[in-house]
Amino acid sequence: MNPDVQSMYQKRPKTLARDITLLIFFTIVIVWSTQTIHFDGLNPAGIVISRSILDALTKPNLEWLLNFGEGTSIPKLMLETVAMAFLGTILGAILAIPFAFLSARNITGRFASFFGNTLIGMIRTFPIFILGLMFIRVTGPGPLAGVLTIGISSIGMISKLYVEIIEDIDSGIIMALDATGANSFQKIRYGIIPQLTPNFISTAIYRFEINVRNATILSLVGAGGIGFTLTAALAVYRWVDAAAALWGIVIVVLVIEVISNKVRSMLVSGDR
Amino acid sequence: MPNLKNPPLKNRERDNRIHIFESIRWYFLRNIVQTKNARKVVLSDGVSITKPYSFGLFYLLILIGLSYYFVDLIVISYFEITPFELFVKRIPNFTNIVSKMITDFNLPYLPRIIQPLIDTIQMAILGTFIGAAFALPVAFLASQNLVKSKVLTNVIKLILSFIRTIPTLVYAAILAFAFGYGTTIGVIATAIFTFGILSKMLYEVIETLDLGAFIAVESTGATKTKAFIASIIPQIMGTFVSLTLYSFEINIRASAILGYVGAGGIGILLDDHMTWREYGHLGVILALLLVVVFIIENISRYIRKKMS
Amino acid sequence: MIVFNNVSKVYSNGTVALKNVTVSINQGEFVAIIGLSGAGKSTLIKLINKMISVTSGTITVNGEQVEGLRGKRLRQYRRKIGIVFQSFNLINRTTVVRNVLASRVADMNIIATLFGIYSKSDQILALEALHKVGILEKAYTRADQLSGGQQQRVALARTLAQRPSVILADEPVASLDPITANQIMKDFKRINQSENITVIANMHHVDMALKYADRVIGINKGEIVFDGPSSEVNEELLKKIYGREITDEDIMFRDQ
Repeated sequence: MNPDVQSMYQKRPKTLARDITLLIFFTIVIVWSTQTIHFDGLNPAGIVISRSILDALTKPNLEWLLNFGEGTSIPKLMLETVAMAFLGTILGAILAIPFAFLSARNITGRFASFFGNTLIGMIRTFPIFILGLMFIRVTGPGPLAGVLTIGISSIGMISKLYVEIIEDIDSGIIMALDATGANSFQKIRYGIIPQLTPNFISTAIYRFEINVRNATILSLVGAGGIGFTLTAALAVYRWVDAAAALWGIVIVVLVIEVISNKVRSMLVSGDR
Repeated sequence: MPNLKNPPLKNRERDNRIHIFESIRWYFLRNIVQTKNARKVVLSDGVSITKPYSFGLFYLLILIGLSYYFVDLIVISYFEITPFELFVKRIPNFTNIVSKMITDFNLPYLPRIIQPLIDTIQMAILGTFIGAAFALPVAFLASQNLVKSKVLTNVIKLILSFIRTIPTLVYAAILAFAFGYGTTIGVIATAIFTFGILSKMLYEVIETLDLGAFIAVESTGATKTKAFIASIIPQIMGTFVSLTLYSFEINIRASAILGYVGAGGIGILLDDHMTWREYGHLGVILALLLVVVFIIENISRYIRKKMS
Repeated sequence: MIVFNNVSKVYSNGTVALKNVTVSINQGEFVAIIGLSGAGKSTLIKLINKMISVTSGTITVNGEQVEGLRGKRLRQYRRKIGIVFQSFNLINRTTVVRNVLASRVADMNIIATLFGIYSKSDQILALEALHKVGILEKAYTRADQLSGGQQQRVALARTLAQRPSVILADEPVASLDPITANQIMKDFKRINQSENITVIANMHHVDMALKYADRVIGINKGEIVFDGPSSEVNEELLKKIYGREITDEDIMFRDQ
């Protein structure tokens, strides 16, 4: 056998032991996790209920779903939910700006930015519905609590993404402006802002999509929107009403997703 | 193009209203043309360019319009019912909670919440695992470059888009209602949600895969199955693990609140403490949650980085 | 030895790809097939491997009739035929040596394939194949980090790991720059001569075909219009094969 081939063979990556260990490790973790389930068999009543709900999905309460006027109107409730998400996102996007600048390494240096990032991390991990309950103590139940909750809670993720954008600034452009004799204000206006704005907006829109889902979650704890209708309908066994609420959520989230993707890709490509 | 130099004359025989209408139309059209002319730039060699309208302005206007409408919908209508002073008076309710979380920080409470926390983590792990296990084969079936039938792929994608728009908590609420409380429904809810989002992320990647390698391996005399395993699976494995970990990160956070609707874990304690105003205990839970999520996220990021 | 006997191929959309083609190729020959795109070059190659089937006529390879092959026998037949593609068709995100080893899975069981457990002899075989094409040192590099020419070499090594009696090449150098293309063609030539493997290559670059192949088959509109040594090919003959003047598109090195 060719000696080069022989030595190459000796050099082969010997990952078998590592791979097997990883596999065993994961198996143990998964098996350990099953400890949490107490499988007493499926409650037969539960199966009946699930089947009814699935069945009701094919015939949702169209009266509620398509009602744009008085009475229980799913479109109106979804509008409220979307409005919560919208205002909350704007609030969060604006509040996140100072946080982000304070936490960007190229602005405040390593020590301060670490502190800022930790703060942002803490906000991000704060469970949104606790925040919701806290705001409800102030405003009472209703969508305003939702707006404030989403606003504050969004600061976490939005700041984090802003920081990434800020740290990605191409300083070459700033230097080029400097070379043409621009003053600080002009450098910010023409050098920094155009680099930041499209990405900031894209981030906000991305977060908006997520916030519509958060708004749905918050509406379950009482912050207005469609959640209450859903749980109320379930509580009185009115499956078609609950199905209508679910469809409302699905349709609105999907539509927003489509629009949001379109707008964000327009931002990225620079088309109108 | 009507005569834009002079406004329409008022004619005794004409109706006042027609005159007003025509005047408005005249001013409107003139405005547009003037603006158009104002945006026209003529260069020194005679070439003229019309500056396009800034589309940013257009969207900004939409944004402002929507904001105004929504603010009216939510904020204004709120303050129509609740006087502003009352609102201000109640703000301390919020700040109170935060300060109490810090001052009444009840560390001895920590051992009591270890078990619920473990439940929460286990729910997330198991739910992610089950969801991922189903997501992979279904993602293959949903990929247009692997499955010939466009009907099948589109139907699957449609169903997936429904499944993934419903947040985990909603699934948990419905399941809790149907089957009663417990961590099992938390696992199922997480699994369903994971299945939804992971399938989408997967088929988006699968559809970008190069199938040439498959043809090549098949031409060496391997069966279709073996060729698939040898050529396609290696291309997707790394991404699959990475995306599963990403879903796990999302699920850990969602898991923490599933208890609120009865699906087990630490969520139910959170609600309890809120209701009984035991903010010290709440603070401990939140702090622990923070640490755990931080650790898990970093491990997950580290592994994901190593994979690519 | 590969024998085409009165082979015709008509596609389901009515296109007549090959018309009454009769040709035989002996073991160890280096044959280049030239002609316009769509003249039938690809079809000829695909028929040998039975990626597509004949409409009429027979193809016999080393005594075996290709049309009768299916299932296990077809797969065993294909193991002896290696194919090099224009677009390399390597497995992304996998190392070079695993790409070469992919041609061994045909003989392995499913579990070993799934977990990528290759026998020592297979691994040595793969490394030797890489050595033969001159990129042994890249064995454990990720395949998509290599240049185009190197990737094609990996593809060639992959076919060598099959220990084939025939190597089919479908436009092997069309995606490469002229210098790399020459290197790859030299590799083909070297392997053809040292291992006595039949090489049949589709090429639309006439100069490359003439430079490296011993024998040239010219196809025009599905029929063989020329079959002979490459030394006999002149401009007039080329016009007959292509049905038109030779343009820059048909030549790799423009200055010749």
